[in-house]
Amino acid sequence: MRWPRLDPITRRRLQRFRRIRRGYYALVILLAAMVLAVFAPYLAESRAIAVWYRGTLYLPTFQYYPMRTFGQAPPAGWDSADIEADYYRLQREWGTERILYARGHSAAGADPAALAALAAKYPDRDDYVVMPPIPWNPYQSDFWANEILNDIQQALDAGHRDDAEWLALRDGLGELAAAIRSGRIDTLLAAGKGHPKRTLGDLARTGAMVSLAGLGTSPPNAPDLRRRHYLGTDSQGRDVAARLLYGFRISIFFALFLVLTGQVIGTIVGSLQGYLGGRFDLVSQRLIEVLIAVPFLYVVIVIAALFQPTFWLLIAILSLFQWIAITFFMRTEMYREKTREYCLAAKSYGASHFRIVFRHLLPNCLTPLVTFTPFAVVGAIFALTGLDYLGYGLPAPTPSWGELIGQALQASNRDKLWLTLAPFGALTITLVLVVFIGESVREAFDPKPYARYE
Amino acid sequence: MSLLEIDALQVGFATEAGLVRAVDGVSLAVERSQTLGLVGESGCGKSVTASSILRLVPSPPGRYLGGAVRFDGADILSMPREALPAIRGRDIAMVFQDPMTALNPVFTIGHQLREVLALRFGLARGAARERSAGMLKAVGIPDAGARLDQYPHELSGGMKQRVMIAMALLCRPRLLIADEPTTALDVTVQAQILHLVRELQRESETAVLFITHDMGVIAEMCDAVAVMYAGRVVERGSVVDVFERPRHPYTKGLLASLPRPGHARKSPLATIEGTVPSLIAPPAGCRFAARCAHRRELDAARARRCVEVDPMLPPAGDHPVACHFPLDAGAPAGNSA
Repeated sequence: MRWPRLDPITRRRLQRFRRIRRGYYALVILLAAMVLAVFAPYLAESRAIAVWYRGTLYLPTFQYYPMRTFGQAPPAGWDSADIEADYYRLQREWGTERILYARGHSAAGADPAALAALAAKYPDRDDYVVMPPIPWNPYQSDFWANEILNDIQQALDAGHRDDAEWLALRDGLGELAAAIRSGRIDTLLAAGKGHPKRTLGDLARTGAMVSLAGLGTSPPNAPDLRRRHYLGTDSQGRDVAARLLYGFRISIFFALFLVLTGQVIGTIVGSLQGYLGGRFDLVSQRLIEVLIAVPFLYVVIVIAALFQPTFWLLIAILSLFQWIAITFFMRTEMYREKTREYCLAAKSYGASHFRIVFRHLLPNCLTPLVTFTPFAVVGAIFALTGLDYLGYGLPAPTPSWGELIGQALQASNRDKLWLTLAPFGALTITLVLVVFIGESVREAFDPKPYARYE
Repeated sequence: MSLLEIDALQVGFATEAGLVRAVDGVSLAVERSQTLGLVGESGCGKSVTASSILRLVPSPPGRYLGGAVRFDGADILSMPREALPAIRGRDIAMVFQDPMTALNPVFTIGHQLREVLALRFGLARGAARERSAGMLKAVGIPDAGARLDQYPHELSGGMKQRVMIAMALLCRPRLLIADEPTTALDVTVQAQILHLVRELQRESETAVLFITHDMGVIAEMCDAVAVMYAGRVVERGSVVDVFERPRHPYTKGLLASLPRPGHARKSPLATIEGTVPSLIAPPAGCRFAARCAHRRELDAARARRCVEVDPMLPPAGDHPVACHFPLDAGAPAGNSA
């Protein structure tokens, strides 16, 4: 089958679409977002894109490296050969080495022995880690905000001031690091009138040290640029931005696949109903009416109870209902088009029914298909979000907008504004973009502008 | 044996009011490389007869009630459905009434001509394009190569009708059915198209069944003519015979309603009073009786015969007529009363 060459009317419609700025830019933005979503593993991922370590380039995207490869200290109770390198920590550790080396360098002046000692102490000061813009994958829990003050406190309590300062420096707590270094921390923590000796947690809670605000609390944590949680974390400490991005990826491709299958089936059925008419039309219309009467949500709930829903299973279930809407439009279009004489003409020179329906008539019936598809995409995204929200969508750790909205609406999270704004904002923006596109397509296909009475 | 023989063809349409016998016992024959004109007013069954030849009567509601359509001896109405594409577009091609809707609006002219060639001869693209361009030139379309890349809406009505004719002739059919190919066109273009069909027919020795309601066109185009009225053929004969000595009052009426040079200015044209009878329950006798000016001149007994007995068209003869009292049968019947 050859693609029909663009005829002048279609070309004019495309031009009109381009001229409707709102829709055109919405399309550009959405396509860009989809391309970005395809490359999500390079945008939001806990593995580094590249590591430059002691003269060698490592590409962790393609290969697994344990902590030992980079000489990274494992968490307590683990062996450095057993777990994958923590690249984001590695990046911060080596950054800290650079800061300390620079500080030591200016202190050492021109003393070669001191310089050599310094170089030996900070061997990784020239090594680099290139992290994705969001250094989190969507499944990873991060309890840093809850734990970091404890870690520093422990180091302080044990008298390891250098370690404490190192930790503060490493995690971007500049004010705290400076206070530890200058010793001001002792006065801050000292027991005063009416209160016993304080902890770092107290400093954070009371606002005595403003830069510690929000630390020492369990997730969900507010957006924190030091930790590169641009949109905060959810109730399990997972990065909201990363989950939004992957959620978008799943939603939009889910919607596209769903709409594609739905429209293909619907177009075929509707076309045949319109073209064949008669008994086939009558019977299939009744079957469709039966199908419409089936409450779709209950079917999904029943099936979700029997099987663990997966991406493709959900598409299959929703396709059962998705195809119906377009059949009505294709049916009427076909009813109208088949009476045109070119259809009879095609028959008169020996074209088969199949050929007439799908090669001659269908290209003349595409307008409803093109104009309704964007709105079908909106519906499909919304359907998946709704199912996820209700818990009948994709299974648990899968990043999804509906699940985020579900978290946001829990009573205990009502004050966590980022949890509400992020998924609702993403949903709103996406749907508005798609609606803009659909509206502009509809407008571009509207025959009225071609024939307007003065 | 004639190329095409229609034998007592009956076609009915089921409507809510009952079965409409649109074609009720039509018999015709088209000889090789001859042009037969089929003439009659709107609704008399001309087009249904024509589409029956290709078995293109829409069904439902249409139904073949009886008779046969023999092309080269083979009955098209009773052959298996799979055999139809072999005839459609190959042996018999059709030019439709309305060129505005008979071309698919979303494909180029070249694409549609090519498809016919691909279906018919399995021709490859390049060769098909060359053939199409040649045929467009033959039907008098200037700059044929460029026209191939145009869409139907970019062409005028006359051009489109030429394209339709080209499409029909590309298959080199042995019979061309032209169903009022000029009614949708204006008069100047009409003349060109008629001339063109005549010319092409003479060159390729194709038989043509020419359907029209315009007696003038018949005179111009045809060798033989069959006049239809209310689903029946009422008179048949060579163009010269029928035009110079019409035997059926209806034929005479049709001819009289033509404006002619010398027709007195501002005097009204002759018309045939009344309308075509219902084909659901046609009158028992002659279907034209109610409108027949000739019958009014007959005596009562003979006039009653017209209403009571159905006149049948004699199967043989050079100039048969379905009338009890044909016009050339001696003195005008009224005189003997």
